[in-house]
Amino acid sequence: MVSVMLIGSPVTHAIDVITNITADTASITTAQLRRIYSMRQVKWANGVPITVFVLSSNNLIHQKFCKETLRLFPYQLDSIWNKLTFSGMGIAPTPVNNMDELIKAVKSTTGAIGYIENINEVSDVNVLKIDE
Amino acid sequence: MSMYLKLMNKYRYVSIGLTALFTFHVIADDDRTAEPLKIHGFIAQGIIDVSDSDFVNDDGKFSTELTEIGLNTSYQLSEDFRFAAQAVYLNGGNRYNEGLRVDYFLIDWDAYSSEQWQANLFVGRFKSPHWLHSSTRDIPFERPSIILPQGLYFDGFRDIAVGGDGAALKLTYNNDEFGEFDFNFSRGKSSITNDDAEVILSELAQGDIENELDSQASVYWRPVFSQWRFGLTLLDSEFTYNGETLDFFVDGRFQFQNYTVNAVYEGEKWEFTSEFLQTRFLTEGFYIPQFHQDNLGQGGYFQARYKVDQQLTLIGRYEEFYADKDDRNGYELEKRSYGAVPNYFGFQHDAMLGFSYDFSNNLQVNAEYHWMQGTARLNPIVLPNPTLNKEHWKVWAIQLMYWF
Repeated sequence: MVSVMLIGSPVTHAIDVITNITADTASITTAQLRRIYSMRQVKWANGVPITVFVLSSNNLIHQKFCKETLRLFPYQLDSIWNKLTFSGMGIAPTPVNNMDELIKAVKSTTGAIGYIENINEVSDVNVLKIDE
Repeated sequence: MSMYLKLMNKYRYVSIGLTALFTFHVIADDDRTAEPLKIHGFIAQGIIDVSDSDFVNDDGKFSTELTEIGLNTSYQLSEDFRFAAQAVYLNGGNRYNEGLRVDYFLIDWDAYSSEQWQANLFVGRFKSPHWLHSSTRDIPFERPSIILPQGLYFDGFRDIAVGGDGAALKLTYNNDEFGEFDFNFSRGKSSITNDDAEVILSELAQGDIENELDSQASVYWRPVFSQWRFGLTLLDSEFTYNGETLDFFVDGRFQFQNYTVNAVYEGEKWEFTSEFLQTRFLTEGFYIPQFHQDNLGQGGYFQARYKVDQQLTLIGRYEEFYADKDDRNGYELEKRSYGAVPNYFGFQHDAMLGFSYDFSNNLQVNAEYHWMQGTARLNPIVLPNPTLNKEHWKVWAIQLMYWF
């Protein structure tokens, strides 16, 4: 019975946060992650500017990351980002089309941050431990 | 003839806007890496129909004067300096002056950054960061409704309230125990033109209106991991009117002092917003040299939004506004004008229902219906028109919007 249930369930992974190796940090708090994604912290502790990469708002991985990791709803972030973009007061994260592009962008951009569903698929990036 | 020229100008602006938007959209589509140059834009067109009021037009027919087009750029000059600018074309009929505007044009200096603090100084033409919707009142997909609550976001004051030429300071502070704080301070001069004077002060005003430096400040607070956010804003602004030799009006001085408080709740399905305003409106001269009027106006609204699913959001809002808190029914106003100005020019209430539907991440339609009572927030505010404006009036509007 247990094996039938497992076979019948879709395989889901927790969302991990990855950074470019220049970010020079091993762990991060949920509050700090929220600050980074709401563009309230724009530099790492070592002074390197943070570049945020995201999937589109209707992407299920993005929605899961927002709700479970950041404890924010995707529309809240959309609103913050639109406000910055269309008032000239800041810039929004850079959108990418899919997970492959996101991983490639984080690997190749100094100070970049992103998220990934299956950590086994990636190397050459920092995987951050998330503290409460 | 001038009507014909205005119409031709409108179509010229719209076609230039569309060409630019299409060209830059193609460029922006390639902008999938963290390049220093960012380009974004939006276009929105709607239909609006107002009965028993000259809110949009004088003839009462349904109107397509509900156009908003914008194109902006941001360029990272160095690690700490960024350039940003936006041009918009707006047409809202009588609501504000129709035409092309430089919306903002600024240098953003990232003055200090740490894990807790962030300080930015914006120099140039900036948009007011203070009120909930002041920086995005023309961004159709970022405001809750097509027509914003007029007590607080009076369209006639759009060009005065939207920003200024000067400097703005934004300071954010993050504390793991007490939450997130934003402090904003700005000092600037509104870039108002003679055409704006005509919209606000009527066609009879031949002179110039000029804004002295105005000061604004605001504080926002979100407790740790809270779905609530609270804000407080202050504004002090002064205008002078210099009459012409042959003019219906004489020299005058206007002063606005606004205080607002707001609260926002953002849940998964429900979103609640409330803003309250107290506004001191001082008029000296202008009508006759000895004229002096010092009013305290009050207003506020409560708004609820419900997200039915990822596409459909329903909205309901109720707003009240009183031009003079000591004359809520406007009877004093009517008495002072010997009956020429009906009492309902002393207040304006708005009950609104509407919805928005997202076809995709960047294509949306908004539709809404307003039941209005009172006419205190209509242009030209200094010269009420009781012939065209009844106490009870209605507005419906639908607007399609696209952005990138």
